[in-house]
Amino acid sequence: MDRGSGQAGVSLGHGHERLRPTFEQALANVKDNVLRLGALVERAVERAARALVERDVELADQVRWEDADVNELQRSINQEITSLIARQGPVARDVRELLALYHAAAELERMGDYATSIAKLAQQLAAEPEEPIFRQIPEMERLCRSQLRAAMRALVDVSEQQARDVCAGDDELDALYKSVYEASIALMEKSPDRARQATHMLFAAHHLERLGDRVTNIGEDVVFLVTGQIEDLNP
Amino acid sequence: MTIEAREAPLPGLGDAEIVFDVQAFSAYYGAFRALKEITFQIREHQITAIIGPSGCGKSTLLRGFNRMNDLVQSAHSEGHILYHGVDLYAPQVDPVEVRRRIGMVFQKPNPFPKSIYDNVAFGPRVAGYKGDMDERVEQSLRRAAIWDEVKDKLTTPGTALSGGQQQRLCIARAIAVEPDVILMDEPCSALDPVATLRIEELMHELKQNYTIVIVTHNMQQAARASDVTAFLTMGDDRAGYLVEMDTTDKIFTRPEHRLTEDYITGRFG
Repeated sequence: MDRGSGQAGVSLGHGHERLRPTFEQALANVKDNVLRLGALVERAVERAARALVERDVELADQVRWEDADVNELQRSINQEITSLIARQGPVARDVRELLALYHAAAELERMGDYATSIAKLAQQLAAEPEEPIFRQIPEMERLCRSQLRAAMRALVDVSEQQARDVCAGDDELDALYKSVYEASIALMEKSPDRARQATHMLFAAHHLERLGDRVTNIGEDVVFLVTGQIEDLNP
Repeated sequence: MTIEAREAPLPGLGDAEIVFDVQAFSAYYGAFRALKEITFQIREHQITAIIGPSGCGKSTLLRGFNRMNDLVQSAHSEGHILYHGVDLYAPQVDPVEVRRRIGMVFQKPNPFPKSIYDNVAFGPRVAGYKGDMDERVEQSLRRAAIWDEVKDKLTTPGTALSGGQQQRLCIARAIAVEPDVILMDEPCSALDPVATLRIEELMHELKQNYTIVIVTHNMQQAARASDVTAFLTMGDDRAGYLVEMDTTDKIFTRPEHRLTEDYITGRFG
């Protein structure tokens, strides 16, 4: 019987039957929930950055409130995984998959926290005199989300190559962060009265850069899931 | 085929002395081939678990290690099993001496219908042991972690003990003739979980002095108790063959072979 990954006709002698449909279903449910968590976080990042750019205090407030949903979903994923490990005794790829999903969920939860921090910065920046936001910030936010989507796709497809591509893509985000850093220093030197604003933007960029690092950690989780090897893909 | 030393140790299995060097070993019952060209090594002071689906020849392989298959009339074998470099199946080898050095514990505890003491003393007596028998009995029972439970009732029948105690008595009986290797064929399948864990702990202690090979259907037991795991399955001809052998850690976290993965994760039976 084919497990759907290209090795039909594998012979184990006799008695080819799926023996653990309940476990497989439970594993699929966990994976679905991690994908849902990824979608929640992506939405939070997009809205937090929009609140920042558009000086939308109310939208920022919503992002902060909705982080509770992210936390709750992560907790329930943790519980499901703990219970599966305790009760089903998974081994080999099954245990690697559960560990990868557990870690990915933790990383996503942390990304939710960064989105919340950006939302707080949006509220603080909104109180400052109206000045243009560094153009790199929306760019970083778009890149972050596209990286996050790619990481979640790699997780769904269990694709080592896609995961490695995600990790390689983090350099662009790092470069953008560096340019925000330089721009902030320049702004502070040129207009000391805008130091507070420059610092807020620098922090927002820093959170986005950290978000990108967390995305690469999920890429590493996928590589671990496929190969069983723990690699640092964002040195 | 000629007997020659294998060039390099198998990866990840350590460099302890090789106890059994199995070379293209095939076992037959009449015309039926039960095992097909098994090649692997078992090393000293390690617990090696042999796992695989029913009928894949695990027990046949285990019995190959102390020539128990000789007792089956239609059985014969090809290839070699070298025990410390000596071919176990060479004509000059005495199977009785083989079984003294390579003891066996069976699926169902099978104490003799004799006292606890006599169960343990039986082997040394048959072997003509002339030393202090009380000491030998006590030491064997201690090593089998059952001394404290039976020291005050050594004259009661072994069959009066609980299943777990009987199995430890059988281990003491196997130890009493001072073997080098203990073969265990599903030693816990008739025991409750507590007795099972006790035997597993005991195996861990015993490996300091002995080399242990265990056949088990209980995958979690193999994962918990063994150092090295060999996975056997059978082909379309129903002959058992070795799919993969590696450290237990590797087998249960990232096995190389898809068949191993499917079997240990319980995807197919």
